[in-house]
Amino acid sequence: MPERTKILIIEDDGKMSRALVSGLESAGYEVITASTGEEGFYLAHSQHPDLLLLDLTLPHRNGLEVLQQIRKDGLDMRVLILTSHNTVEDRVEGLRTGADDYLGKPFSFSELLARIDALLRRFLPPAPENRAIVIADLTIDVKGRTAARSGQFLELTPREFDLLLYLAENRGRTVSREMLTRDVWRENARYTPIDNVIDVQIARLRRKIDDPFPVKLLQTVRGIGFSLREPAL
Amino acid sequence: MKMPPTLRGRLTLWYSLVLAALLLIYAGILFAFQYVVLTHQLLHDEVQDIITVEGLLYFDSKGMLQLRQDYFSRPQSHLLIDRLMEVRDLNGDVLYRSQTLHGMALGGPNRPNEGDSSFGERIVRLADGSHAFLVSHLHTLGGRTLLIRLGYSIVPLRDRMLQFLLLLLVAVPIALAFAAFAGQAIARRALKPLDRMGTRAENITASNLGDRLDIDGPEELSHLALSFNHLLDRLEQAFVQLRRFTSDAAHELRTPLAALRTIGEVALEKNESPTAYRDALGNILEETTRLNETIDSLLMLARAEAVTPDNQRTTFFVSELVDEVLSLFSILMEERNITALKEDEAAGRVAIFTDRGLLRIAVVNVLHNAIKFSPTGSSLHIQYFRSASPSGALCISIQDEGPGIAAGEHERIFERFFTSTSRATVAASGAGLGLSVAKLVINRLGGNIWFDPEFYSGAKCVIELPIFGKA
Repeated sequence: MPERTKILIIEDDGKMSRALVSGLESAGYEVITASTGEEGFYLAHSQHPDLLLLDLTLPHRNGLEVLQQIRKDGLDMRVLILTSHNTVEDRVEGLRTGADDYLGKPFSFSELLARIDALLRRFLPPAPENRAIVIADLTIDVKGRTAARSGQFLELTPREFDLLLYLAENRGRTVSREMLTRDVWRENARYTPIDNVIDVQIARLRRKIDDPFPVKLLQTVRGIGFSLREPAL
Repeated sequence: MKMPPTLRGRLTLWYSLVLAALLLIYAGILFAFQYVVLTHQLLHDEVQDIITVEGLLYFDSKGMLQLRQDYFSRPQSHLLIDRLMEVRDLNGDVLYRSQTLHGMALGGPNRPNEGDSSFGERIVRLADGSHAFLVSHLHTLGGRTLLIRLGYSIVPLRDRMLQFLLLLLVAVPIALAFAAFAGQAIARRALKPLDRMGTRAENITASNLGDRLDIDGPEELSHLALSFNHLLDRLEQAFVQLRRFTSDAAHELRTPLAALRTIGEVALEKNESPTAYRDALGNILEETTRLNETIDSLLMLARAEAVTPDNQRTTFFVSELVDEVLSLFSILMEERNITALKEDEAAGRVAIFTDRGLLRIAVVNVLHNAIKFSPTGSSLHIQYFRSASPSGALCISIQDEGPGIAAGEHERIFERFFTSTSRATVAASGAGLGLSVAKLVINRLGGNIWFDPEFYSGAKCVIELPIFGKA
């Protein structure tokens, strides 16, 4: 059995920490936790995690200091900052200090998973452009920007195709409205109220890709978002 | 020299320095004037005296020159006591010398033409070291030409001038001391209102922000006090607004929290199916999303209030921005069959220089609001025009055919957390921050936003923007 990817969480809030552990373990990661900067720094040195989830407001030692020390010591790991200090300046400072990504609290767990995947995938060679994504009987031609189901060509608007592609790239996982706002609509999720736009767009996409077919692929996960997956039999 | 730290001290110092300079100049002029006047007087006396003396000279039987003394009955006459006189012939031989000279010569050898055409007044040094101011005159007596030199010691004059100088030297510092003291007192008196203002201002804190400074006093100070009072007005207003906003925000956050709690408790109380639990959890998550949006908007408001977006300005066409936002919402409009009718679009094709990102936030909120309240199958009228004001600001009016705004709510609609009391709009009301954000942003860009109160069949929102951004 290949060694599992190891994630270190430095987070002082116990509830948050336990929830993250539970979620990440069921996503297949090995997780270790620390509740202070010192402890986290020690674990980062001794356990060599692949990825560090770092809270910035820690007792005794600020998260940014820990990050600085880790980068100074040349430890090779991805670092994802999780914090409620979420201004542009905080973000810039975090990234400048050596973080690979920055996620503001509160975040959706599915988004956290997506970011973690993206960070760990950075090592892998990029996927070929002319690939096709296949989910059950749904085929998406990424380069040709077309989609078909059961061999039947689906007539999609550009936005509908982008939405479908994004859902397909995150297949099996739930994507939140915030992720869609930012990644598909390319709007600043924080200031643009387009949840109802997304809902209408999803409803239209569903009419085209699911309604004519017996097996429904596009699921609404209440309170979280949407997911494109082959339903379990 | 180190300046005194207080304004009072500085005023006094400058005042004293200027006064000292003036006094010194004044004393100098006075001194010189006095000297000239006294010298002139002495000359005048000597000339008078020489004429008198001419009448008193005679040769006695032995051919010696004598001065008739009996002319003056009083031997103590100062002319007799003080007068220095010497009479010479043109060869320089002394024919007469007054006793007051004690045998000393009055002046050096004869000068060419001495006493011929002028009195030749001058100061000479005597053998005993004292100085005398003398005049010369030629006089013919008994067929002989005599040179009369007549002078007075200038020691009394010098003494007098010295006394005068001493008087000035004593009087000037005394006058200066008085002036400085008076200046200090006057300055203290004049600046007293400042002290009072300072004490008053120190006592104003958050709890008595309604207190104001006294505005009686000299005009400059009362003006200052008035300015500070205006500042306090604005601070108080901001503070009251902040306090109300905080309590509103707490209330707004408590409402979804209450929902969260109730949903959670009810779900746990009942022994329900997994599906019902899922439903409850989903419900809770939806509420947290709403909470998060509210917090984001609050932060946005707080941040937009704190910074001026000066460095992010670009030039762009307003109509393009509006079209971009319309296309973002086009799917909503399609769904409810709402048509956007654009009027005078050419007027909107004006390049304006402002923060595009901020303006977009405002336009998104206003359009979103208009679409939200538009009934199915209605139209949305978007019109561009230039305002009547001399600056010719660009106006965008966005007009819907919805329920409109209840009378008296045209201003309040921009207040934070405002949700209309009117029944028609209750169902669609959101967190109540969108229009506050829009207003704040537009104001930050130097523009105005208002709802046309004359407009009843729906709501008409007008955004007025300066073309070159905030000056």
